[in-house]
Amino acid sequence: MLRIKVPLKNILPAVTLALWGARALSAYDRSVLAEYNDLYKNGNYQSALEGYADIISKEPANPCGFYNAGNAYFRMNKPGPAILYYSKAWRLDPRNADIRANLEFALKQTGQAFVPDGVPRVLHYLYYYLSDDELKTAAAAAWWALFLLVSFYFLKPKSAAGTRTPLLAAGGLLALAGLWFIARSVSPFRDGAVITGEAPARLMSGPGENFKAYAALPEARLVKILDDTDDNYYEIAIPKEGIKGWVKKTSAEKI
Amino acid sequence: MRKNIKICISTPVRYSLLAIRFSCAFVPLLLCAFAPLSLYAEFSISAEVDRKTVEITDSLYLTVTVSADSASVPEPKLPQMTNFNVYSSGRSQNISIINGKIATSVSFTYVLSPMFIGRQTIPPISVFNGKERAMTQEIDVLVVRTAAPRDPRARPAPATRTARPATQAEVNPEDLLYLTAETDKNAAYPNEQITLTVKFYTAVPLTSNPQYLPPQFKNLIAEDLPPVRNGETVIKGTRYAYSEIKTAVFGHEEGQARINPAVVIAQLHREAVTDFFDPNFFQKFISMNAAQGERREIKSNPLTLAILAFPPGAPPSFKGAAGSFTISAELDRKEIKTGEALNLSVKISGSGNLKVLTAPKLPDMPDFKVYDTMSSLDISKENDVIGGKKVFTTILIPRREGRQTIPPVRFSFFDLAAKAYREIAAGPFEVTVLKGDGEGANVSFVRGEQVGITPLASDIRYVSDKAAPPPAAALARRISALPPGLNLIPVFIAFLSFWLARAKEFRLKNPLLFRFKKARSEAASDLLNAREKLKGGLPAEAAAILYDSLLDYLSDKSGQKVSGLTRKKTLALLKEKFPGAGDYATGEIEDLWENLEALHFSPDGTPPERAKEMIEKYLVLLDMLEKEFRK
Repeated sequence: MLRIKVPLKNILPAVTLALWGARALSAYDRSVLAEYNDLYKNGNYQSALEGYADIISKEPANPCGFYNAGNAYFRMNKPGPAILYYSKAWRLDPRNADIRANLEFALKQTGQAFVPDGVPRVLHYLYYYLSDDELKTAAAAAWWALFLLVSFYFLKPKSAAGTRTPLLAAGGLLALAGLWFIARSVSPFRDGAVITGEAPARLMSGPGENFKAYAALPEARLVKILDDTDDNYYEIAIPKEGIKGWVKKTSAEKI
Repeated sequence: MRKNIKICISTPVRYSLLAIRFSCAFVPLLLCAFAPLSLYAEFSISAEVDRKTVEITDSLYLTVTVSADSASVPEPKLPQMTNFNVYSSGRSQNISIINGKIATSVSFTYVLSPMFIGRQTIPPISVFNGKERAMTQEIDVLVVRTAAPRDPRARPAPATRTARPATQAEVNPEDLLYLTAETDKNAAYPNEQITLTVKFYTAVPLTSNPQYLPPQFKNLIAEDLPPVRNGETVIKGTRYAYSEIKTAVFGHEEGQARINPAVVIAQLHREAVTDFFDPNFFQKFISMNAAQGERREIKSNPLTLAILAFPPGAPPSFKGAAGSFTISAELDRKEIKTGEALNLSVKISGSGNLKVLTAPKLPDMPDFKVYDTMSSLDISKENDVIGGKKVFTTILIPRREGRQTIPPVRFSFFDLAAKAYREIAAGPFEVTVLKGDGEGANVSFVRGEQVGITPLASDIRYVSDKAAPPPAAALARRISALPPGLNLIPVFIAFLSFWLARAKEFRLKNPLLFRFKKARSEAASDLLNAREKLKGGLPAEAAAILYDSLLDYLSDKSGQKVSGLTRKKTLALLKEKFPGAGDYATGEIEDLWENLEALHFSPDGTPPERAKEMIEKYLVLLDMLEKEFRK
């Protein structure tokens, strides 16, 4: 009879290594960050911003850099880049109350709603409770668990009764993660962009100057990118107004 | 002239109020359901002035009215007005309860004394109910010069601006402007009115009306007594213009009270006064730009007062009221059904600090449910005496039908004139209670009157000092960055497991097939054991292993246990099962079997050479049989 036995002593180091790796990924020098924050504190926002940009270039997975950069842009009265960076930070760490508050505040300042009208705040919070990476990881974990449990089910059919519940749980988790991930596709922050260039950005009826400009988009407007394959233009949609068109890639930045 | 902005809070609030009107049985549930919404009722604010044009020496009245469909309304917040001196003139409140629906309107009156000539603006006045803010629009007022009197002698010169030096008397420069503060008494009981008079004297022209900063009070509650009185007087041979500002103060509790200095900021004209006796002298200076003047800040003298203790012998219903009051009370109807709301209004009128009056304690009324009490306040300041009326309205809901009696409502105060306590009462009241539909609603006037944090502005939160991203997020990012192909590994493992499971099942279903296939390998294993025994000097054991191994091998191949068969039957069985096998092979089997049997059961023991020979022979036979059995 085949018996698969993975000792605990082999699992623990692997998990520890993975967690340590996660920490090591983000081990930025705290004193350097404090230095940039001091610049911010003293009102030297441009210099602080350059420091935060350095953090972002070294640690693109660190929401702190994006968040602080958003703050610096906001102080410099540039709501477009501020919302862009808050959005980036928020996608990385959606449970961070500060990021959420500042993104909501900046959107409100530009006449946009963070929580759509009629949507309960609790539901909105739950909808964004996990980041895209966390959703993917949860789905992958459920996928692995499901197939390993199926393997166990094949190899130890006598233990089938005990396997059924975790099997269903893994299947349910996989379905939930998958559906959640799909449901998030309508989020304005998935494939989103922010108008950051010279305002107002012109919304064209085609990807070129020879097409008619039929709408003007104010700075900081959140839009959804439909297609980015053109060299110079994004095809975008503004779901709330129900319009779509093309804007120059220099006018908008992807979240 | 009236400018207002009305804020509608929410329709559900109105529905919740209607629910009180129509249903007694379901009202408690409805109130519970709508309680969070009804905390913030509909309210509005409006402001108006009694005139749009005012002379610089005159004052205008600003009336701010706040209306709400709740028992209490927030007090408006007057903005900083640098172009007016502002004095509170009183308030009046109207409250109505119709079928449980409450409507309150409070008018706050202010006296505004302009400081500069020209178009002046009263900024928006806001009121905040804890959630929503309402505000008025700006009000423009034209401040003009005082019209020159047809006969300068017929009208006294306007005060506060300047004065004419009456005579040629030399005046100390310090005495050209000064401020005095005095009270009408130095000791008083708590809540007894003390009138503070602050007088500003000037013997020089001013470029504008001075700014008055009222004094700070300790252990005193202040109430403005407008309007400002202006006049002229002669002191020690010098003619002064003066402004008199009165304030009523009330001692808070027994002990010492203090009035800190009041401050007046005046702008003096730098140039010498040429002709103080010119009838238009005053207007000339008023029309000057304030920036042309020299700024002077004058302070009054501080004052100390004694707040006395009330004498002993206070009745039980005494709660600290002092003054002169009367009481009256009334019910809004004489006949009512059980479960319906009955309004009992107790009105206390008179002179005294009505703001601090608390509701008289109602007598025990076991036949009524007694709900919250709300109050409305009207303050008058006639003849510089603070007075007015305060009405306490309580909702009573009768429990039982029949003729019910509400006992007298008693109120006690300290009569300042008689220096003695007095207890006054209103009632009793008779009411006929008919049989109603229900027990009654839970009626409450309290509607979010919490004193909370006042938001001043909103801003983004500060930068983060967390150098590292959250571990879970970082780990998730690393995992999600792995090649998607890795996720095929568990699928492969599942397929492999499936195949192994099927193989195992097949083996269990076909045991002979597996024994046939494994016979050679098990025989080879036995050969190794036999060699080990032989090396260990145990040829008999080696021969025994070979004998057993041969029988096992033949059993596995034939599918029958041959140890229970004779050699002849075994060979016949093999011949039948493997008809392709040659006779030589069966002969070799028979020969080896016979030799091994002889060695195994020999009483003389087994010579090592013989055992070794058998091992070699068995090995050759196995190779041969594997080929023969496949034929």
